[in-house]
Amino acid sequence: MSSTSPAVIRSSGVVSPPNTQDASQNITTTDRLVLDYLRSRGHKPAEKAFLESLGSVPSDDNAGQSENLLSSENLIKNLAIHVQKPSRPGENLLKEGSNVLKELTAMGNPPTVQNLIANIGPVGAEEILSLDPTDKKEGFRELESWVDGSLDMYRPEFRPILFPIFCHFYLDLVQHGFREAASSFYYTFSPSLLPMHHITLRHLSTLLLPSHVQNDEVAQHFRNEKYVVKMTRSGFSLLVGWLIEGVGGEAPGHGDGFTGERSKRGRAAVMRVVNNHLRFDVTSTTTMVSNSAWEESTGLLSSFVPQTSGSVSSPSPQAFNALKGELKLGPAPIPEELRTETERVLREQAMVERDPGAQYDLHYSRPAAVQGLVAPTESDLLPHPTSFKAIDIQREVEKVRDARKRIRLDPSVLNSTDLNMVQNSAAVRARGLPSICAYTLHDVGEGAPICAFSPDVTLMAAGFSESYIRLWSLKGENLQALPGNDLPDSIRGEAGTTSRKLVGHSGAVYALSFDPLSGSAAPPRYLLSGSADSTVRLWSLDTFTNVVAYRGHQNPVWDVQWSPIGIYFATASRDKTARLWSTDRASCLRIYAGHLSDVDCIRFHPNSLYLATGSSDWTARLWDVQGGSCVRVFIGHQGPVSTLAISPDGRYLASAGVDLSISLWDLGSGRRIKKMTGHTSAIYSLSFSAESSVLVSGGADWTVRCWDVKAAGCSEAPRENAEPEVPSKSLACSSDLMATFSTKQTPITNVHFTPRNLCLVAGNYVPVDYR
Amino acid sequence: MSKPKGKSAQASQTGIYNPESVKDVAESLGISNLSDTVASSLAADVEYRMHQVIEEASRFMRHGRRTTMTTSDIDQALRVLNIEPLYGHNSFNPPAFRRALPFPQLPTVGPVYFVEDEEIDFDRVLREEKITVPKGVNWTAHWLAVEGVQPLIPENPPAIPRDTDQQEVTKSPPISNTGFPPTPPSDRSTNKKQQQQQQQQQQLVKQVLSRELQLYYTRLTTSLLPPSDFAKRTAALASLRHDAGLQALLPYLIRWVGESVVNALKDSSDSDNDGKVLEVMLHVVSAILENSALFIEPYVSLQFFTIQYLLNHLVLQLHQILPPILSTLLHSFLPPSYATLLRTMASQTLSRLLTQHSTTYPSLSPRIMKTLLLALISPDKSKNTREGAIRGLIGIGKEAVRKGLVEGGGIRVVGSDCTPGESSSLVNAVMVSGLSFYAFWNSDPERICMLGRTPCVATPF
Repeated sequence: MSSTSPAVIRSSGVVSPPNTQDASQNITTTDRLVLDYLRSRGHKPAEKAFLESLGSVPSDDNAGQSENLLSSENLIKNLAIHVQKPSRPGENLLKEGSNVLKELTAMGNPPTVQNLIANIGPVGAEEILSLDPTDKKEGFRELESWVDGSLDMYRPEFRPILFPIFCHFYLDLVQHGFREAASSFYYTFSPSLLPMHHITLRHLSTLLLPSHVQNDEVAQHFRNEKYVVKMTRSGFSLLVGWLIEGVGGEAPGHGDGFTGERSKRGRAAVMRVVNNHLRFDVTSTTTMVSNSAWEESTGLLSSFVPQTSGSVSSPSPQAFNALKGELKLGPAPIPEELRTETERVLREQAMVERDPGAQYDLHYSRPAAVQGLVAPTESDLLPHPTSFKAIDIQREVEKVRDARKRIRLDPSVLNSTDLNMVQNSAAVRARGLPSICAYTLHDVGEGAPICAFSPDVTLMAAGFSESYIRLWSLKGENLQALPGNDLPDSIRGEAGTTSRKLVGHSGAVYALSFDPLSGSAAPPRYLLSGSADSTVRLWSLDTFTNVVAYRGHQNPVWDVQWSPIGIYFATASRDKTARLWSTDRASCLRIYAGHLSDVDCIRFHPNSLYLATGSSDWTARLWDVQGGSCVRVFIGHQGPVSTLAISPDGRYLASAGVDLSISLWDLGSGRRIKKMTGHTSAIYSLSFSAESSVLVSGGADWTVRCWDVKAAGCSEAPRENAEPEVPSKSLACSSDLMATFSTKQTPITNVHFTPRNLCLVAGNYVPVDYR
Repeated sequence: MSKPKGKSAQASQTGIYNPESVKDVAESLGISNLSDTVASSLAADVEYRMHQVIEEASRFMRHGRRTTMTTSDIDQALRVLNIEPLYGHNSFNPPAFRRALPFPQLPTVGPVYFVEDEEIDFDRVLREEKITVPKGVNWTAHWLAVEGVQPLIPENPPAIPRDTDQQEVTKSPPISNTGFPPTPPSDRSTNKKQQQQQQQQQQLVKQVLSRELQLYYTRLTTSLLPPSDFAKRTAALASLRHDAGLQALLPYLIRWVGESVVNALKDSSDSDNDGKVLEVMLHVVSAILENSALFIEPYVSLQFFTIQYLLNHLVLQLHQILPPILSTLLHSFLPPSYATLLRTMASQTLSRLLTQHSTTYPSLSPRIMKTLLLALISPDKSKNTREGAIRGLIGIGKEAVRKGLVEGGGIRVVGSDCTPGESSSLVNAVMVSGLSFYAFWNSDPERICMLGRTPCVATPF
């Protein structure tokens, strides 16, 4: 111990500037795991390069000696375990340890190795003694009391350190086989962290054996990647001061504790984690790190941010998004012939109907370029037929008419006038809030995961857990099939009904999408469905039969969406990929890989150039549809992203997560605009109004909520990140929540704005006794 | 692993899955010499695998848009984890876990649960009548919001009076982290509570009634209450007396009458306003009684204990038609200038009510009589109450007067209450009753004096 502890202390001084971080981890666990991985996959050149890089580090750093000592300490620690329990079968840790030695010799750095081997003798016994699990507990207790005792000003930024250190201590304990110590550590210290991190912590608490840690994804992310913590310069220097001297923050009543051997060991344990697994993103300003900024820049970022060819020193989502350059978010161009034809039809109709309002229609037919957005050119679009059909003209004409007849929703009036004036408020609310029509499904057996409305609102489709899809005509018309080679309607007993059952899937139907080609002018002709049986099926709504089954995903398909120009569609699946398909091919055109967990939801950008995905790895991404690369990454949610919506003007992405919040992102910059809170249960669906001014959300708390997109979010007081308080049900509603409409026990599975700004919501009624 | 001693005790705390269960399973497979370490490791691993399955199943639950995990979620999770699913469980028939009898020989085991596996007798099932296939899925549509306002229709849940609170909350500065709960001043909170109560009443009205009736109700109640002028009030009463189609409003009107009477009587300050209110209320009641289009019988019925309650406290809560009348009649502190008028009116209304409805409720008049008698005779009642009781008896009829005053000994009580030479309204009441009694008995007033044997009655009026 006497020889190691000063080394550790010196090394921390070296580590503290964030840029020399890589230098400090000479032969740490991380590197060894990377090496093992490379070796097992047979990446010979990569392995060699990696070893070289490792070897070169100590020589160019004058503090190399101390680092070696530090790393040797790690090594010995690991070796010691294997020495301690060599008899345990099924753990090739011993082999691993010898691997390290081999690697060290292979590195061709003889003084280091000799140094190391020389160290093993005298220190080993002491280290074995020091491996008793109490140092972790002691260290964490010291750290927590130091953080809690620090000045109010610094506490919010110190709190985030607790979580990664907790996780690493827990994983260390489990990996070293101290199961009881690990669980008692968990039960002692987790309550204060649970409110913020309960998803991860619950998962970690299930890991009980070393083999679990080695196989578990989350644990491996923690082990292999640096956890980024944002801090101000002064806060960081205080932390370093505490780690080295045991002073620097106010810890009343704990000052003398640092003289003891136990607390010193505890601090050394904290320091080991800080050195090996944390990366400090030190801001130059002295202002506090706000809560939202904390969410966006803390965590295992390096895995979320894709590696770019140009080596970026620190993987931050902001840097990545900036590097990817400008996006073409403007509206898609309309072919000139189609436009002139549309204008001609509009003019004719105006003549016939003698509608004075129709004069203005022509004004709408030319989409005004949205300010500040680059519009794509014809060549940027996905390949599509150059000629146009009658239905295209109808669609465009109807689009213009919808734009004229639309109910204008302007939520800003709600803020400007005083809501208390009761006489006024009704009229004002009418200008700011939409009318909502709720469609409630009754007698749903095992559940209807999805409900969808056709763009012209003549059809409603629901997908059921019982593997079938049911279609209803909302206009009360009979759904007549065209005569085909299928069974005649009279035999199927569905001749004169307003409802159709589509049978074909062999698993719960999770996603439905009507084809957008006819827009609001005519009923759609095709329906896509994605299911737990990992197929996507195309249904013809002329014959009400299944036309194609697209197979390719290996796992349940969570979401399907048509591209805005038809022809193409995109799917999101449990196999961590999103795929692009064309209806006329049975295999996929593009695979968008990069998410670390299930891709839960997928949405096309209105100009069909980009694709947004939300995933269970807590991030959302924007992909270039044609190029297949990720162009934006949105980090900030504290739980899986359950649903997405892109505003019709192409500027914003709204994402809702299991963390009960809705985030609004600016697609151009990739920054979060605001976070909207108020839902008390999972959010299932989001939809923007046609002018992108109102966002409507529906969820499992039986409510539909309307949010003001343009308003500033609430200026909530800086919540302390791991305040030991019970997550209260009455979460603070942010001020941009305009209205809450609750239903009678109907979880809202779909919200949908028609082109004329009528809001339709659908859900299945859950009887009281159903449990 | 360094501490094999005491591990089992600790392990049972740490994990949910118990190493003993692993040993039980091992024994069932013929492995008897399973060591503690192996068992606890296996238990930990089993627990981990279970969590893995549950985590996976929770994803299926989430995508199924449910908040309750079902057996099909577990099935699908097993499928994607490449494990054969458990057959025989479906979400319509959730397995019922039953608790086994405790094992006395193994006290450490703890409670054991098992899934009951029912045996089905095919013969019996076939003999039973067929179950009809449930109706398929259907849908209904309703307006959740119209231009930002939630219509109060049965499909929507009743509005919660939380809106106002929320507004106040949003206006008040956000709760700071200092940990001081905001304590509102007490008077404000009571005020708010009252407001809320009023609001709730209003909302109760609004829920069921059509818009027109709501409007009618508010107009009617405002024009009846004192600040309005005489013409309006007469018009309102006339409308109540003659308009058809007020049946839906009836419960609300009667409740309103009841509450107004209670409010007027509750604060003992004898203001003219209260008297006016009471007078109007009696008018309203008689108007309702006169209206031939209204069916009020359900509201006439009077429960015994309410009367009891009324007389003891003279404060009423029930919104039925008799309590207002009786409390007006029997209340001890009526505004002095109105007292006689009100009591007379109340007794008239009571008599009308009885003539109309005693045929349908034969027990009605005896019960009312009993109430009045109690008020008349019981020793701790005030004079005013006694007067009211006598007037009520007059309203019921001559027979009642006879029973009350003569047989029941009411006149004696009155006589002992009154000081000689006093000319009070109570005496007046007795005289009036005497007159009616006289008409009935065809006898002279002296007889009554004789009966009462009190000098006071002899004073001329």
